Amino acid sequence: MSAVDAPAESLIALRGVTKDYPKISTSGDRMRTLAALLFRSRELPHFRALDAVDLEVRRGESLGIVGENGAGKSTLLKIIAGVVRPTRGEVAVRGRVGALLELGSGFHPEYTGRENIYLSSALMGLSRREAHAKVGAIVEFADIGAQIDEPIKHYSSGMVVRLGFAVATTLDPELLITDEVLAVGDESFQKKCIAWLEAYLARGGTLLLCSHSMFHVQTLCRRALWIHHGAVRMAGSSFDVAREYLTYHQEKTHAGEPRERGGGLYPNIVSGWTEDGQGRPTATFRRGETIVVQGLAYEPDDRPPVLLFGIVRADGTPVYGSHSNEGDYEPARTGPRAFSFAVRFDAVALLPGKYRLRLHTLDGLRLFDTFETDFVVTGETRDYGVVELPHAWMPGHGRMP
Amino acid sequence: MSPALAVPRWGWLLASFVRREVLSRYAGSITGLAWTFLHPLAQLAVFGFVFSHIFRVGVPAGYPGVGYTAFVAVVLWPWIMFSEGLQRAMGAVAANAGLIRKVAFPHRLLVFSAILGTCAVQLVGYVAVLVALRVAGEPIHLASLPVALVLLVPYMLLATGIGAFLAALQTLLRDVEHVVQVVLQVLFYATPILYPATLVPESMRRIVADNPLGWISERLREVLFHGSGLAAGDALITLFCVAVFLAGLWFFERLSPHFEDFL
Repeated sequence: MSAVDAPAESLIALRGVTKDYPKISTSGDRMRTLAALLFRSRELPHFRALDAVDLEVRRGESLGIVGENGAGKSTLLKIIAGVVRPTRGEVAVRGRVGALLELGSGFHPEYTGRENIYLSSALMGLSRREAHAKVGAIVEFADIGAQIDEPIKHYSSGMVVRLGFAVATTLDPELLITDEVLAVGDESFQKKCIAWLEAYLARGGTLLLCSHSMFHVQTLCRRALWIHHGAVRMAGSSFDVAREYLTYHQEKTHAGEPRERGGGLYPNIVSGWTEDGQGRPTATFRRGETIVVQGLAYEPDDRPPVLLFGIVRADGTPVYGSHSNEGDYEPARTGPRAFSFAVRFDAVALLPGKYRLRLHTLDGLRLFDTFETDFVVTGETRDYGVVELPHAWMPGHGRMP
Repeated sequence: MSPALAVPRWGWLLASFVRREVLSRYAGSITGLAWTFLHPLAQLAVFGFVFSHIFRVGVPAGYPGVGYTAFVAVVLWPWIMFSEGLQRAMGAVAANAGLIRKVAFPHRLLVFSAILGTCAVQLVGYVAVLVALRVAGEPIHLASLPVALVLLVPYMLLATGIGAFLAALQTLLRDVEHVVQVVLQVLFYATPILYPATLVPESMRRIVADNPLGWISERLREVLFHGSGLAAGDALITLFCVAVFLAGLWFFERLSPHFEDFL
């Protein structure tokens, strides 16, 4: 593989990386593939897993990789980790690479945890002495108690995960490649992993994180790459990519939901949209801007309908909801059986991200109808959660209650 | 070279693989260790009985005072080492598919460890049997043991080369395994292990005695029963074995980046 002349601090440089997997169904295919590989011809039935991917990651960067199952994320990570050689294109990877392509890979089920630590560190290219020096720290990080000296086959999957992460991280690689690592393991270990990754990034480590959790991608990565059908669909800030990726999924899930609005036997929402403080329709707001929700409703008996709005985060986490009965609000009648309403949020405290507004018509506790529209709050933040709560850091008084 | 191999300290990884190769035979089974030594002993007992008592194959005049069992034993263990090492090397890629799919490392280490692990186990049995035969009064030159061990090096290089070739082929073609079983069976009887090369009809004797397997088998007997040293022919055979080793390894390395596509 030829080296690519990349700028000094670039750890990963991929140019036009393409990976074809041979399609093999008959033994004749196998013979032809063997001949083609030996004599380096390429004319074979194949499945293209990656198509001309360019990528550059510099030292100290954190890149999230998102995409649907089978999009080629894992193939991309394997190429960077050196497990897979691309069919075409150039790959240059510098520095000490730690790859967690699958937790517990390289573990032997009959070996004890401790013996597996030695085997894994040898696989990562460590010498016996280096492994000896680190084994204590690994055992401590994994925190699986006396079972470290039991065969791995008696471990729960969570314990195998702990051990795998402990091994990969204690070796402190310059470039850490992780594939869906945080998805396994319990809550407290996830937190430990995230804390470790944050500290790792803070001291200049470079991270490639492949995850289905937009939360993890947004908290841990500054940049993100969206792989779609083997090609780069979008590359940019992790917030933008996560937003677009979630939008894509919402559109895919909610495609084809016909509903007759503005008529029928039950009250419903005819339409709803968001505007800025000056009455201009928009679905993108800067953090702290004013959001005005406008809506039109239909009521078959020509009586003012009861309305409910709710805001959820893109992943479905409820943020806030309230109904119009609460403040004795009555929508304005604009014509026969037609009403209009609006809700104003001043200096909205939502953290940057993708949100969904839900509008409902209500009868007592019964929801008649749901109308959904999405909006986005932009900006960058290192805060956690959904909304910003007014707060101030101050000196503590130091007395235990 | 794949990019993740920037840290080329693979010596200890090879040692770990060999350790794993040896231990995996016994892990989970108490009788595993005993079985490794009992299997060739049982084979030897059967051959000794069938060939010396039923077929009445004799030890040639060139080996005075040597019993038939000892005559077979000095060559049977190296053969078992060869065929077992070859088969383990051939299966090494498939047996470690999980590792190859997830970790970047030189795949040839798996082949080497299969061979070295087999050597480690079978050499212990070989030396033990030679000592036991000597104690039982067989005229074995234990002082020539180092020469015999030197002769085993080209023998195992041959196994490594063929094993590497077959491991790569097996990964792509799948059904190589069954063919190899049959071929090994034929080779076992075509090699002067149960009989001396002098019993072979003149017309076929050169084929049987001058291929590496036959040559090294005959030479092992000369060394261990006559105490002779290395001969000029050994260098030629070694050259041949090294060539097979390099060719097998070339084939393996050529296909090794594509293993992941097929596992």
